[in-house]
Amino acid sequence: MPESTTPAIVAENLVKVYRGRGRKPGVRALDGLSLTVPEGRVFGLLGPNGAGKSTTTKILTTLSRPTSGTARVAGHDVAREADAVRSAIGYVSQGASTDPLLTALENLEIAGRMRGASPSDARARAKRLLDDFGLADAAARPVSTFSGGMRRRLDVAAALMHRPRVLFLDEPTTGLDPEARAAMWAEIRRLAAHDSLTVVLTTHYMEEADRLADELLIVNRGRAVVQGSPGDLKAALHGDSVRVSLIEPDPVAVRAAVARVGLRDVVVEASGVDGVLVARTDDASSAVGAVIAALDAAGIRFGQVAASHPSLDDVYLHFVGHTFDPSTSSGTGGSPVFTEGEAA
Amino acid sequence: MTTVAIPTTVSAPERAGWFTQTGQVLRRWLIVTIRQVWGPVMSLVQPIIWILLFGQVFRSLGDLPQFAAAAGTGGYIEYLVPGILMMTVLYSGAWAGTGYIDDINSGVMDQYLSSAIRRSAIITGQLTQQLIVNVVQSLVVLGIGWLGGARYAGGIGGLLVALAVATLLATIFCCASTAIALISRNQIALISLSQLIVLPATFLSTTMMPSALLPDWVAAVARWNPMTWAVELGRGGLSGEYPDAAWLQVAGLVALAALAFTWAVRSIRAYQRSI
Repeated sequence: MPESTTPAIVAENLVKVYRGRGRKPGVRALDGLSLTVPEGRVFGLLGPNGAGKSTTTKILTTLSRPTSGTARVAGHDVAREADAVRSAIGYVSQGASTDPLLTALENLEIAGRMRGASPSDARARAKRLLDDFGLADAAARPVSTFSGGMRRRLDVAAALMHRPRVLFLDEPTTGLDPEARAAMWAEIRRLAAHDSLTVVLTTHYMEEADRLADELLIVNRGRAVVQGSPGDLKAALHGDSVRVSLIEPDPVAVRAAVARVGLRDVVVEASGVDGVLVARTDDASSAVGAVIAALDAAGIRFGQVAASHPSLDDVYLHFVGHTFDPSTSSGTGGSPVFTEGEAA
Repeated sequence: MTTVAIPTTVSAPERAGWFTQTGQVLRRWLIVTIRQVWGPVMSLVQPIIWILLFGQVFRSLGDLPQFAAAAGTGGYIEYLVPGILMMTVLYSGAWAGTGYIDDINSGVMDQYLSSAIRRSAIITGQLTQQLIVNVVQSLVVLGIGWLGGARYAGGIGGLLVALAVATLLATIFCCASTAIALISRNQIALISLSQLIVLPATFLSTTMMPSALLPDWVAAVARWNPMTWAVELGRGGLSGEYPDAAWLQVAGLVALAALAFTWAVRSIRAYQRSI
């Protein structure tokens, strides 16, 4: 845990249990999650859908109350000093934060004035933010005419109207096309350049976490799995990773075939006709040949074989114990997505 | 983990006052009203049809001696207009909660609830917009009634009383609709429930028929029906002849309005606890 900066957020042992409604069973969304977010950085919460990322965000933004556990955001307790926390944070949820019938400028002005800005200050800041986010030409248009990417950028602008110290972005690029996603990434990097602003970003896109986060926390099943910078996390996995795509695999046979090749952390997964073998090795150049020979000898059909330096995918696999299922990738950006449980 | 002292050198942004917050919520909803003005306009079609249809179909009621003895000699249309005025309030108010369900579904509600905005300001801002729309609709209904032949002997003062009573009834219904919306979070449930309440509330009152001509059990129910209180107070304002229990009826409506408002504010807090 970094000691050089003062934490913007400290959460300890957060538990959130949603009681069932009617026949719906209760859900334990958070199961003792703790985290520390250093000030002035981009902090990524990475995990599959249903891992507890959004629930964590909702608790830290005071929207939702934890069943147990405590959290301090910008120096204030989320339960006892909720209004002080609210004044210090901006929140871009997965939903909209603007009224579609109002223009962009009207939405920002109202957001600013509700949070304490004077009429002239609200107008000036709204215009400035619309400029910054490339929305100046659309300032007088109703938000209902905006594209998904424009709307998302306006949501971020609205969350910055009252000059928050901590900005929460809950899956800011989900549902955006690749171009809009790239634009949003550029905006987040621009915001990250301000030392006074801490950005907390949740995502289930590996690539997004890798590119944007200074510090990363992998979350799974309501618990913190591992925290560190993307570079440190990858460096901690020694050696290289080997991936083999398999055709109609029998996992037991595959494991038996490669048992003597000298691989570590062997994972074989099958879904339908496709499968994958992922493993770690200290010597990729000899391992690839040995794997091919071993699979051939055992009569196992396979496709591509690749060796690479560890990626965040490998970090996730190492700490969580299974890969993500590429069949549920959004199909727009090509980034892999996890699948697990219900939507967050 | 050791406790870490977090310096608060950056002062927290100023928090807006209650009136500013309420004003900005109102501003949002007034802009929405103007950009979607067909909504309030369409809800005026119904009272126009009621006045024309009921006024025509039941016109001969006004000529009956029993009716004149119970309700005066102004004719049926004059008797009916205050009833239609309050019916418009009911039908319009039933929709009041739908904006909250839209906000919950879109995510705007999450923005409100994660901001330092007072919950009563959220409720009051939107309620004020609904009451403004309600006053405009009421004026139109009174105008249509006048065109239909009704005359308002109570004068300007009486008209203002009728409008004030309509506003009070609107507060009750809008707040109740808001509370139900925040509890059910379902447009269909909200509208069905409202329709279920509105029709009996209208017919089990003196909206269309004087108490003396109602069956005993209906008259007994009508006596305690807040719709009756509002209609009779409105009728009193327009005709200039107030009912005997006027002050009690006013007190009853004010108490219900206060209860409904409290219910709405509590429902928004209950909604947040459920997230």
